[in-house]
Amino acid sequence: MSLDLPMSEQPLYWPVQRRRSRGLWPLFCVVAAFLAAYAYLFPGLLSIGGLSKFTQSWFPLALVSMAQAILMLTGGISLAIGATVSLGAVIAATTMAGPLGVSGGMALVAAAGLGIGAVCGLIVVRLRLPAIIVTLAGSFIIGGAALLILPRPGGQIPGWFSDLLAGDTPVAALLLALVALVWKFYLATPLGLSLYAAGENPVAAYRSGVPVDAARIAAYAISGLLSTGAGLYVAAQTGSGDPVIGQAFTLNSIAAAVLGGVGFLGGRGTMRGALAGSLLLSLMINVMFFLGLPPVAQYVAQGLIIIGAVALPQINARGRQA
Amino acid sequence: MSDAAASSPLARRAISVLRSGPFLTVLIVVAVWIAAGLTLAGFGSYGHLRYILELAAVIGLVAAGQTLVIIGGGIDLSVGAILTVTAVGVPLLAWDADTSGGIAVVAMLAVAAGIGFLNGLGIALLRVHPMIMTLAMATFLQGVLIIVAGGSAVSMHNPVVAWLGDARPFGVPAGILLWVVVSAATLFVLHRTPFGARVFALGANPLATSLSGVDVNVTTMAIYAASGLTAGLAGVLMLGMNGQGYVGIGDPYVLSSIAAVVLGGTSILGGSGTYAGSIPGSALLVTITALITVVNASAGWRSILFGSLILGLLLLSGREAKSR
Repeated sequence: MSLDLPMSEQPLYWPVQRRRSRGLWPLFCVVAAFLAAYAYLFPGLLSIGGLSKFTQSWFPLALVSMAQAILMLTGGISLAIGATVSLGAVIAATTMAGPLGVSGGMALVAAAGLGIGAVCGLIVVRLRLPAIIVTLAGSFIIGGAALLILPRPGGQIPGWFSDLLAGDTPVAALLLALVALVWKFYLATPLGLSLYAAGENPVAAYRSGVPVDAARIAAYAISGLLSTGAGLYVAAQTGSGDPVIGQAFTLNSIAAAVLGGVGFLGGRGTMRGALAGSLLLSLMINVMFFLGLPPVAQYVAQGLIIIGAVALPQINARGRQA
Repeated sequence: MSDAAASSPLARRAISVLRSGPFLTVLIVVAVWIAAGLTLAGFGSYGHLRYILELAAVIGLVAAGQTLVIIGGGIDLSVGAILTVTAVGVPLLAWDADTSGGIAVVAMLAVAAGIGFLNGLGIALLRVHPMIMTLAMATFLQGVLIIVAGGSAVSMHNPVVAWLGDARPFGVPAGILLWVVVSAATLFVLHRTPFGARVFALGANPLATSLSGVDVNVTTMAIYAASGLTAGLAGVLMLGMNGQGYVGIGDPYVLSSIAAVVLGGTSILGGSGTYAGSIPGSALLVTITALITVVNASAGWRSILFGSLILGLLLLSGREAKSR
């Protein structure tokens, strides 16, 4: 046994990362297979333009999946993600072309996301109400607010801003890399470290001096920020706002996080898994589109694939146990 | 508590009833009805209250199965889709030999219970999380429904269903009678049978339940099948009241059934609760919706009001136990 502890930090990092990715290899393989199938069906994917278009269609789902995963890691859940995305979209579409300008609109969108998330978190954590019901009721309030701001699709995003975010450049890919990097740094802060502890065993974490409540409320705030951010991006993509555009994101974010191995009970799962799950979901939709399946058949296939993808590892694990 | 009151079992029972969540919910409903009846013209009339109860019957039926599932530690997000399946399926399943329409109804109820059973199968045997399993099932059914029924509404000519929607034996709408029967059956099964005890045990601690020799898989499949069946019954009733079924008819009932269960004091975490709370919970939800409709507000404000009221009511009935 050597006692050079300071040296051990460097060699320890990669084994830990490998361990955390261990359960994810089947998922990564499936994602790779779908990517290959997609590239075969649509050879244009392999160019810069094709790749940036694809990341653009994936980016909002990736953001909301992270928003959902960060809550599920703390043992929470949000059914208000879709409504929050819509709210972000309508705030962006109504403010950016006005006197506030693009930067003012972005600040407003970010403030709304952080604020809504923090209030949800405060209600769930401090008043001890079940997250699923609070966010369900919250989705009505947030969705209603979006309808108040913009009763019907409209508003406007400045053209140059839309081009910047959703044009022919790989800006979405860069933004996603940036978000992933910030997440890495967040995990290294005290609040980020507390995230897993608070989700895995809140009582033990509390007794060990972990700021459980603060970590959970912060997770809700970050989740809100990511959701309105996704809304801003969706608005930039379409060039305008729509008060119900986010609806599908609630379910898809849960599906992506669960596909990525994030558990419902907290403390289980990784953000890379959630991202891979969202990538799989988004690839699935694209591949089915290119195969010429009618949108209706896509529902059927999506339901079957989600059940299959979630069930297979479980059957596998039990097979190994027996 | 005074010793005299505590010593008499009858008094103790009365006190526990007065302090229970279901009773509190009934009190809230009665208070809201009285307040609204005094302030709003026509709200307190017999006809209007009967209409509110008719609407509550649909939520109440869906909530019956949902209560079983939630007490058993799960959640069923496919009830809306199952409701739509029966509401669209019964009119499509009409053939000449079936003059009363009863066969079509029974067949679709069997389909509804079958869908619920499949949910249970996936959750018990494939170990898919209930939320994912039922969500995926809802997505799947939505696709199938659009393929089968298309986007248009289907009208029904089914005597049994029409009777259920319109008839008023003894002056009480048949839908409410159906709700009473289902309520009695649900309460009996939950609180007076070994199966009900197993459901509570399953929700409280599945591992301990399994180790105690209970067949957890069978119990799980049974509660989801029951949830499918009650959602199907609600679909038939809905069809009778509406006269036609269309894709999306059941969508609002996912959230309202869960809200009714939780407002009734059943823990969303499973293991405790009663359908006796979900009954006034359903009535409360419909009452809130009716009140919001009376207040002449835009769609946005109505939605905000609805969410805020549910959140406020949760503070009265839905608190989780302090974790430390």
